[in-house]
Amino acid sequence: MAVRTFAAIDVGSYELAMKIFEISKKNKLREIDHIRHRIDLGTDSYASGTISYENMDELCRVLKEFKEIMKTYGVSAYKAYGTSAVREMRNMLIVLDQIKQQTGLEISVLSNSEQRFLDYKAIASKGEDFNRIIEEGALIADIGGGSIQLSLFEKDTLVTTQNMRLGVLRLNDSLQRLNPKRTQVHELLREMIDNQLAVFKKLYLKDTLIRHIIVVDDYVSMMLQKRALDGPAPGYVDRETYGQFMEQADHYTNVQIAERLGISEENSNLLYISSVITAQVMDICGANMIWAPGVTLCDGIAYEYAEHTKLISFSHDFEQDIIACAKNISKRYMGSRKRSDTLESIALTIYDSMKKIHGLGKRERLLLQIATRLHDCGKYISLNNVSECSYNIIMSTEIIGLSHTERVIVANDVKYNHLEFSTYGELSEDENIDHDGYLVIAKLTAILRVANGLDRSHKQKFKNIRAQLKDQELLLSVDSSTDITLEKGLFRRRADFFEEVYSVRPVISKKQG
Amino acid sequence: MAETVDFRNPAYYTNRELSWLLFNRRVLSEAKDKQNPLFERLKFLSITASNLDEFFMIRVASLKDMVNAGYKKTDIAGYTPKQQLTLLEEETHGLVKEQYAVYKRSLVPQLKANGLRIIEHHEELTKKEGEYIDRYFADNVYPVLTPMAVDSSRPFPLIRNKSLNIGALLQKKGGKEGLEFATVQVPSVLSRIVALPSDDGNMSVILLEEVIERNIRKLFLNYDIVCAHPFRIMRNADLTIEEDEAEDLLKEIEKQLKKRQWGQAIRLEVEEGMDERLLAVIGRELMISAEEIYRINGPLDLTFLMKMYGMEGFDELKREEYTPQNHPMLPPDADIFEQIKKGDILLHHPYQSFTPIVDFIKTAAKDPDVLAIKQTLYRVSGNSPIIAALAQAADNGKQVSVLVELKARFDEEHNIVWAKKLEKAGCHVIYGLVGLKTHSKITLVVRREEDGIRRYVHLGTGNYNDATAKIYTDTGLLTCNEEIGEDATAVFNMLSGYSEPLTWNKLALAPLWLKQRFLYLIHRETEYARSGSKGHIIAKVNSLCDRDVIEALYEASCAGVKIELIVRGICCLKVGIPGVSENIQVRSIVGNFLEHARIFYFENDGRPEIYMGSADWMPRNLERRVEILFPIEDEELKAQALHILESQLKDNVKAHILRSDGSYVKMERRGREAYSCQDAFCREAKEAAKEVKAAAEGTGRVFIPEMHSAE
Repeated sequence: MAVRTFAAIDVGSYELAMKIFEISKKNKLREIDHIRHRIDLGTDSYASGTISYENMDELCRVLKEFKEIMKTYGVSAYKAYGTSAVREMRNMLIVLDQIKQQTGLEISVLSNSEQRFLDYKAIASKGEDFNRIIEEGALIADIGGGSIQLSLFEKDTLVTTQNMRLGVLRLNDSLQRLNPKRTQVHELLREMIDNQLAVFKKLYLKDTLIRHIIVVDDYVSMMLQKRALDGPAPGYVDRETYGQFMEQADHYTNVQIAERLGISEENSNLLYISSVITAQVMDICGANMIWAPGVTLCDGIAYEYAEHTKLISFSHDFEQDIIACAKNISKRYMGSRKRSDTLESIALTIYDSMKKIHGLGKRERLLLQIATRLHDCGKYISLNNVSECSYNIIMSTEIIGLSHTERVIVANDVKYNHLEFSTYGELSEDENIDHDGYLVIAKLTAILRVANGLDRSHKQKFKNIRAQLKDQELLLSVDSSTDITLEKGLFRRRADFFEEVYSVRPVISKKQG
Repeated sequence: MAETVDFRNPAYYTNRELSWLLFNRRVLSEAKDKQNPLFERLKFLSITASNLDEFFMIRVASLKDMVNAGYKKTDIAGYTPKQQLTLLEEETHGLVKEQYAVYKRSLVPQLKANGLRIIEHHEELTKKEGEYIDRYFADNVYPVLTPMAVDSSRPFPLIRNKSLNIGALLQKKGGKEGLEFATVQVPSVLSRIVALPSDDGNMSVILLEEVIERNIRKLFLNYDIVCAHPFRIMRNADLTIEEDEAEDLLKEIEKQLKKRQWGQAIRLEVEEGMDERLLAVIGRELMISAEEIYRINGPLDLTFLMKMYGMEGFDELKREEYTPQNHPMLPPDADIFEQIKKGDILLHHPYQSFTPIVDFIKTAAKDPDVLAIKQTLYRVSGNSPIIAALAQAADNGKQVSVLVELKARFDEEHNIVWAKKLEKAGCHVIYGLVGLKTHSKITLVVRREEDGIRRYVHLGTGNYNDATAKIYTDTGLLTCNEEIGEDATAVFNMLSGYSEPLTWNKLALAPLWLKQRFLYLIHRETEYARSGSKGHIIAKVNSLCDRDVIEALYEASCAGVKIELIVRGICCLKVGIPGVSENIQVRSIVGNFLEHARIFYFENDGRPEIYMGSADWMPRNLERRVEILFPIEDEELKAQALHILESQLKDNVKAHILRSDGSYVKMERRGREAYSCQDAFCREAKEAAKEVKAAAEGTGRVFIPEMHSAE
């Protein structure tokens, strides 16, 4: 049958959710069920790094029920992801193993950037609207329970993405401690949100005009999808209408909001908070249209599955977003665009020529590409201590779409570009990295080093390099007109490491003209 | 002006118990109605009797609890529980008098005229008949009797709720001691009606208690019988407080529980002319007060008339039994899934057969493409084919989830039995929700088809009970509309304990948003009327006693909305109050079938909306039950639904009109042609089925080429 049924499970911090999808060429992703169960894993996990016995019990019980529900739809594949609450459990591996033993379900853990990347893919699954809107410039406000993620798009490219601890439930907790009057709530929320947003604006937005904001949340999305506010299409509302709604909402009680929108009272409170966040985000970027595509992480999970299994092909190139993101980080730290381009070109040429030997794939190529982009970002802080500084910058910057391990790989490539390479024992002491990860770091570092060596003068002499694998040698040839004395002289040490890793000796040669 | 009227003024409301008694009087009027076949009248009278029994056990008992607990909160009409009881006493005594007047003055003589003699007193038996009866007593009755005497060593026996007994005063033969009390239960295992042999084609019957009374001395051989009379008691046996009452009451009762006499007798029916000494003994032992005693001029417990209705023969005195017809879209051999795919189907039971609904589940159970079946079950018939089909589905590897409502009144035990049966078969059974009764009627079938999952949904106003579906008028919708399918899935997710969906497409659910939805719909008419458009509401419900809804209707009436209500039973709304309810008409249809469907029409400024659902306009439906309201959106189906409402409004045979003084009267026909909507629906269903059948059979040997229809 041309239709495949897939289940996407999101073990969230405050909610356990499952969506059932039908994936087919014709209808692409069709959601057929959305089951949600409130369970507060976050409070436990954030405070004590554990999960209580009761929660564990409940979690397993509901997951088992999910399995039964999957059967009712004849689900043929599933993917389950845990997000921040699971991520922050000290005994995460034990918990995941227990869940597997009890329910038979395997849960993977997403880093924040992976999670947001999936959310972003979820939006992209809405196809044309997405392409059009990011072309015109947009700010994605991904509003979660614990934090929000702002991702800025200019002309189809992702400029930056930042996480802020301003999640709906987190703000609600803070509010409840203050126990304010209804009329004070908006002002209080504004105070809590605004200073962080102001920093974001100062650093990234400056005076850029952003036409749209794309909202991913559970509440505003629902309201707009329902067309509770007048908009040009489901999910859309313009600045003016939204402003009017906010004015009314400031004076409504939760019960009134609930009645008007047909939602529960508890949700109406959270809706209000989410609305205020949306309004404030709209304010800082001056957008005149809100689009809430009404997607959740589960949509992204399904999108990713459909993409990987090639059940459906999508037009947007997400790798370009990751690279764009890296480019923008580099730009922020005054990295040389030209130099990065050269380095990238050399490194990829070598990588591609070594394919048979390193045995790595497309994803690692992407990591190498990012490493070349970020290889010198530490210079912004210290010219003497570039390696450590670059490493630290990368480790504390979100690169959307990369898992934690992948970020570690990139950061270490950059670090060992200049420093003496460490043994597995040394490296795994500081980093949560396994043998495979270690080898990837070594292999990519070796290539990066050689590439870096070839551009020692920063004059892009080797820009049009050719690489050819011949017996135990990698022949790197440049145009004969170029003076490569400097590169040749300093190349040996870098070549040694390359040889150590690959048993292949890189050799520079001038092409005979 | 509307601002100055307080629509919540208790004077604008009728007490619900009194309104219920009026309903029972309407049923009684059917027993009186000479237009009805004689045996149908027996049936109606029997229904008034069983209705009244239930009323005592539930409503009166509940009020007595409140009085005992010292609860003084007033009802919708401003009465305290004590005041209500006083009002009810008078009314119920009056009602009972009328029941027996109908029985004795009207029915018994006419039965006799039609060849059925009811021998009211055993003294009237002829010698020959007497001998037969005595033999019958010795062979059949005597062995199952358990006479119980009361003396210093034997305490007063437990008289069972609703049982019929014969009490007697005895005197030891030759003794000079005082009188002794004895009682014997009229055994419920034997038929209450004992037929006598006849040779002239006429039939004579006598009631079992008379048979026993005649032979009572055989039970107490060493005694002289001073007197013997039947009596019957009703107990406050229902420990659960009626859900309609406030929760604070429940707490109050808990506190007062010790004070309350559990199982306390609340009604004593005795034969008129019972020996006062005997009555005194019974009254004292049962601690019954004078106003709780009903002296009956006739046989106690008229529910035996239902059995009499079922006696063989007398067909000409009964209504011709109506056979539910096939729905034109659902002939017996139709592929039900294919038919639903062609378009939504509206069913009107019992005019149209309930079989397709049973078949829907049976087919789903066997269909290899069906993945899951989910259903809510409230009251199900014994030996239900639906239960069997669900069990079979589970057996066939389908995922079957069933929500079984155990809290259905009187049915608890019955429900548990088949719920266990389903569980054994491998169904996932949910035993109701905490604090809520699940009253909604919904079935969801998930089927994997060529182009993906398709959901088939049945939504109804009546229970999934193939037996009552022949007597209750209900409507149901079969659809595979995607949005309703999504909502149906969400309903079952919620019933399984998952969160409410972010949005509902089409359905409105109690207790979450249904009341608001109704109030919104009523209010919308008010707004249209105020802005000069035509406002019009037609609502057909079984009961109307929710204060908020009535208030909204009053407000709408004042704004000029035309409101036509078809309320079968309780109606706390008053019509014709100047400045409050002048634009409201209420009618009640009490016919051969029990009116049960709930249908709502809202004019919506020329874009009419029609809804159906499981909920009445009662607080308990809107606040403490899971109910579903569903829209009818297909234009053709909307027309069908509107036709149902319009026919009911046109009825001038079975319709009673509520007057401003609170009484109900039958329509004055004033020369207009008689129109009974139930009869009309029967006719229409037959014609529709006939047309389809004729079309299917064609006209003999001529082939008919298929043509494109004009539409």
